This record gives sequence, C-alpha cells and structure tokens, in this order.
Amino acid sequence: MDTVSSLIFSAVTIMTPLLLAATGGLYTELTGMLNIGIEGLMLLGAFSSVVSLHFTHNIVLAILIGTGSSMLLAAVIASITLYLKANVFITGLAANLFASGITTVLSFHIFANKGVVTFPELPQMPVLFERGTEAVPVLGPLLFGHTFFTYLSFILLFLSYVVLYRTPFGFRLRATGLYPKSLISVGLSPKRYQFIAFLISGFFSAVAGAMLSVNLGAFVPNITAGKGWVALVVIFLGQKRPVGLLIASFIFGISEAFSNYAQGIWHIPSDFILAIPYIFTLVAIVFYSIYDYNRQKVE
Amino acid sequence: MFPIVQMHSIVKVYPYTLLKANDHVDLTLNEREILSLAGENGAGKTTLMKILYGMEEFDEGMIEVDGKKVNISSPLDAARLGIGMVQQHVTLVDEFTVAQNVVLGKENTVHHLLYDERKNSSKVATLIEENHFSVEPDALVGSLSVGEKQQVEILKMLYRDVRVLILDEPTAVLTSQEIDALFSTLRSLQSKGVSIILITHKLHEILEISDRVAIMRQGAMIGTYETSLVDEQSIGRMMMGETAAVPAKILTSIDSDRIVLSVDHVSIERHNQKQPLLDDIHFDLFRGEILGCTGISGNGLGQLESVLLGELPISKGKIFYHDTILSSEHKRARTREIGLPFVPSDRLYTGSSLTAPVSENMIATSREKFFPPFGIRKRKIQAYTRQLISRYKIKSEPYQAIGTLSGGNIQKVILAREIEKVKDVIICCEPTWGLDASSASFIHEQIIKLRNSGIGVLLLSSNLDEIISLSDRLLIFSRGAVVARFGVGEVSTMTKESLGPFLLGKAVRVKRGKM
Repeated sequence: MDTVSSLIFSAVTIMTPLLLAATGGLYTELTGMLNIGIEGLMLLGAFSSVVSLHFTHNIVLAILIGTGSSMLLAAVIASITLYLKANVFITGLAANLFASGITTVLSFHIFANKGVVTFPELPQMPVLFERGTEAVPVLGPLLFGHTFFTYLSFILLFLSYVVLYRTPFGFRLRATGLYPKSLISVGLSPKRYQFIAFLISGFFSAVAGAMLSVNLGAFVPNITAGKGWVALVVIFLGQKRPVGLLIASFIFGISEAFSNYAQGIWHIPSDFILAIPYIFTLVAIVFYSIYDYNRQKVE
Repeated sequence: MFPIVQMHSIVKVYPYTLLKANDHVDLTLNEREILSLAGENGAGKTTLMKILYGMEEFDEGMIEVDGKKVNISSPLDAARLGIGMVQQHVTLVDEFTVAQNVVLGKENTVHHLLYDERKNSSKVATLIEENHFSVEPDALVGSLSVGEKQQVEILKMLYRDVRVLILDEPTAVLTSQEIDALFSTLRSLQSKGVSIILITHKLHEILEISDRVAIMRQGAMIGTYETSLVDEQSIGRMMMGETAAVPAKILTSIDSDRIVLSVDHVSIERHNQKQPLLDDIHFDLFRGEILGCTGISGNGLGQLESVLLGELPISKGKIFYHDTILSSEHKRARTREIGLPFVPSDRLYTGSSLTAPVSENMIATSREKFFPPFGIRKRKIQAYTRQLISRYKIKSEPYQAIGTLSGGNIQKVILAREIEKVKDVIICCEPTWGLDASSASFIHEQIIKLRNSGIGVLLLSSNLDEIISLSDRLLIFSRGAVVARFGVGEVSTMTKESLGPFLLGKAVRVKRGKM
C-alpha cells in the first residue's frame, strides 16, 4: 500500500472506537446531559469483554457481558445523577475513577497481574472485504478490509440517525434536551429519557472499548487512554449531528494516523508529533467557530 | 347542569414560607360551561389548577370527576381523565414544527416504529381547520408569534381529546385582536361540549366570556356566582377584600416647595400596540406626605413599580430625584444605584434572598458600611442585625435563613433594611400584601412615622383600605393612565365604593395643571 492509502486505512481503524463512543454520547448530549463518564464506560467494557472472550471464546457472549457491565455502571451514574440529584460532572468523574480502579483490581485478582494481560490464544479479529482495499484507490482503504467493529460503527450510526430523527422516541429524547417542560406538560418524564440515554451511551461505549482490547488480544491498564474524552470533543466538533460525528471522528483518525506515521520519519520532538491530533482539533474548532459566527451574522 | 369536576376542601401549604396557598377551597365545574377563576396575584388560583392538572401535590382534600373520587398525581393521570391545561408559560420546543409539538407524547407511527410525518401533519392540519386556527402544521414553532404559540398549546390539548380545558391567564400576552380570536375559539369549544376554566383577573373579560365566576382571595374561595348576576364592581370588591382598620392620618397640608421625586410625563409603549403600558404618567412627591397610587391588577401599577425599580426602560419622559435624573428615554431608572430605599412588592424573590441568613439580607442594600478594604465585619453585622430585630419586633435570629420566616417577618426585615437608609424619600409597593392584621398595622405605623418625620413616601398598593386610610394624596391608575387625582383633604372623604368607577376607568377626574 502507498502512504496515502495506509494513512487512510489506519485513520479508519483509529476513528472506529471514537465514532462508536461519540454516537452513544450523542444520546446523552441530546437529552442535555454532559456524559463525561464515557471514558470509564469504555474502559470497563474493554476489560470485561476481552476477559469474558478469554473464558468463553464466544465473541457474541463476550460483547453481551461487556456491554452489560458498562450499562450497569451507566445505570448507576444515571440513578445517582437523576434521582439523587448529584452533579453529573462529579458522578461522571467518579465513574471514570471507579472503572480504572476496578479493572486493575480485578485483573490482579484473576490474572495476578496489574500490568498488561495478554491472551495469545485469542484469534485475530477477521477482516472483511480484504481484496477491495488495494483494488480501489482512496475509497478502498476507506471502506474495505476492516474488522466487523468498523462496519458495526457505520451501521449503528445510521440506525442512531433513524432512531433520533425518525421515531417518536427520538423526538421525545431530543425534546428533553431542547425544552424538558414540553414533556412535563404532557405528563412524560424527561428523567426517563435521560436515563435511557445513559444506558444507550453505556452500550456504545462498551462496544468501543471491546474493539480496543479484542483487536489487540490483550488488556492494557488504561487502554482507552483518553479516547472517551476525545469522543466528547467529537460530539461537539460534529455539531451534535450524526454526519458531523462521522466527519469529526475521521478528522481525529487521520491526524492521529499522520502523527503515528510522522514519528518514524521526521526528526522533531515526538512530544510535538503526538500533540498533532490535538492541535489539529483546536485549529478545526477555531475555523468552525469563525465560520459559524459569520454565518450567524449573515442571518 | 351536571358537575364534571368537583374539588372538595383542598388545602395546600408551601414549605419554607408556610404560606397557605389554598385553604379549604371548594370548586365545581359544570359540563359545557366557561368558568372564570378570578383573584388578585397570589390568591392561589394557579396553585389550585396545577393541583387539578396533577402538577402540584396537595395536603388535604378530595377531587371528583364525573362523581367518582380520582387520584391525580401527574399530568398523565389528568390527561386520562380528559383534563388539559394550557400553562401561563410556553411549553413548546422552538426547534420542532407545530405538528411535532402537538403530537409529542402521542405520535402516529408507521408500523409502531417510525414517526409518521405525513399522518401527524395531516391530523394536526385537520384539527387546525376544525378550530379555525391560523398556524401552519409544518411551520417551526420558533418562528411563531406569542398568539400563535398559544394556539399550538391549545391544539396540544385538543389533540388529546380534553373534556376539561384549563387556561392560565391566556390573555396576559395577547393583543386585543388575538384575545377576540381566542374567545371565539373558546365559545366554539364550549359548543362542542368542552368545559373550560379560565384563570384571570381582568374583570371585563370575566363578564364577557364566562358563565360563572369563582373568586379567590388570599388562598380562600370567596364564592362562585352566575356572571349575569354580578357586575365588575362587586367582583373587584370581592377580589380585593376588606382589611383591618389602620391608624388615621395627621397631615393636612403639604409643603409644596419641597419636591423630592418627580415623574415627568413617563410612558412605556409596546411594539405594534396602540395601548401603551404606561400612558403619560405625571406626578411629584413632596417631603412629609404619603402619595398613594392604586389600581386594579394589570392597569399599570406593576409597570410603574418596574420602572421605578429600574427593571423596565421607559419610552418617553424623565424621572428626577431632586435635580438628579434617575431615568430618561429608553433608560432604566438608577433608583437602586444611587441607593434610594425601595420596598418591592415581590418580597420573596426581588426583596430578599431566601436561602441567605437574616443578617445578610439586612445589610444587602448597605453593604459598604460593613466591608472595609479587606474582610468583612462579621461582629458588626451581627450586632446591627440584632439591634434592628429588636427595634422592629422581628421574630428571628440573625443567622436564620430568611426563607424560614413567616411572610410578615420577612417583610419587616425588608422594611427595617430600607427604612434605615431613608434620607428624604422611600418607595413602598404592596407593603402589607398577604400579611396578617398585626404585621400589617405595624407596617402602617412605620410608614406614618416616616411621613411625620418629614419623609416623602410613595405608596403603591392595590389594597383600597390601606390606600384610603394612609394616603395624603391619591392617584388612580386605569389602563396604564392616571384617571383620577385626589388632593389633601379629599382622600379622607372617599370610600371604596366611590373609587370604584375610577378604578374601572369609567369615570375620569384629572385637574388641570400639575398637581
């Protein structure tokens, strides 16, 4: 593969967990809740799915256990936030700290290892449409030869668009964030929709986390490495629209892929190169804000 | 006439203030009738209706619908019983279309799954047509006028097949054409079998639209009357009520050279509306007098308070304190900035900070005395508060949150705080509203004491007994204008009955020249 193709290819691999987590976070964001617990939900999902895959050797069961545990944690955040009226920022932070603690403790308990736990017996995740990658320029690496997680992320994004914009549930969920009194006035509970949104966010975060650990065939402490936070940025950069999420997560993917590539080629401090994705995001946000400001001025 | 809704002996007490919003209130709504629920602000009308709609819990009492005892604990329960309420504030999503807002929570779907844009839109279109509304089903709600938004709120309820429709002050924000349209809608709904409760305090609207009128005052139900058997005066009197006797006045003449406050041809115009909110208000306040201003709610007294408090900019005219300009065209009055004492009518939110201690509330408008360049003089604040607490007979401790006090004691704290700052003028708005007789007469004594020591008191009050017994001179507001002026010696000859025609704007008495 040439440089451009391999850059695009790895950009898609990098963007997949971001897109998944951001799609889930879109639900909570649209109900007006800032879900900063995504990072912790991803981490717990990553740990529990790869460990259960190790024990069951059944990828479907593994993902069910992974998503189940993250949704349980999401339900706890949501209950404390919505019904006991704790600050959503604090409960989200608590979930992140809890996830990072519990995965280390359990990993030590089960594998007597606080560091990297590898599962060499796990098979490589199969890639789909492998032959298409090199056959078509640009679109090939973009669309073909990825694991099923990538295709799942595209399908779930499309499904989420349908759910959010084309179903009664979606209308009520968005009304919750836009003007909760509209639901109260007809006897619906905004909290119920916020709770469901948290569960959905837990599900998506877990799938995103599972991709990280299962693809690697190992659990590394703190394997999510801030991806949950980046997913939040993706939501805002993507203007809280499904298509926006796709574009924003690709921007992140391509800039991180570029920074990985540049590390081996350029002789400039690696700290700077590793900062490229973030600098890129900052520039993108600034340009977008200027564009948005001008557009509003015209209106 | 068959009763559709009956509320029996409803009691609702708000925590903190222990204000009895509803005190053993009974209400009956008959089938196919338009019932007005009338009363001054704070009489408990909205609370009673929110209880019926399941948005407020109540402490005692019972509700029957169709003669059966029901339990209404949420708007969903109310909707199941066919009861709908159009709130005073909009409950619509600006980003959604009219149809999307109307069907929210009860959407038509394709295969129980997808939102059916076409069917929802056409159902709402039919509903719009049946009721002769003017909105488009696919218009974004954010682009609608206030009147149109209200149509959407009513549609939202009609879509749910309500038999009982409650409207909370629906005319407050409407133009007169919009009010006419609303009333014809209500009449056609009535003819289709809907029973309607209209919360309002506008007397002419009550007579125009309703079959019966229920009148509330200070949390209690005064009575329900056939509208054909009452007139505006008797309704107005029942809404305002009688209060305890107050001390007689002493002053008989005014030192007219000593103007402290001067309101000079002040008007507030509204966008696209002929009738201004305040119409060429013009008066002077002298030292050593109590100048009373009164009127029925919604006739300009509230706007005058907002103007003097600096909440509302004026469109025309000027306001002076001695030679200082407090306000001029398109500006907000600087009353608070220059520190003029002011007792606002809203003692709970404007007048105090409910969760802050009494001591902090006590110094809120004279902080500079207690804040040296560094730090806060806590001990001095405590001592100062204790001194005022005993002088004004306030039942509290300095560290108590003011929200835990009774209404009378909260008002005494505010009065004490403002009186301590008095130089030569004080503005008091509804100073005894909702208070028990002893707190009220204590506050009246304080006001008279101020006047006797040569202070100019501007008293805005809708309590006629208070206004007649305290005022040296009196201005009467109707539809935003001063329609009558009474000078020294004239007020004491007035009675509530003789003021009636002026309050209703049916008689005018304006002397030539500046009074």
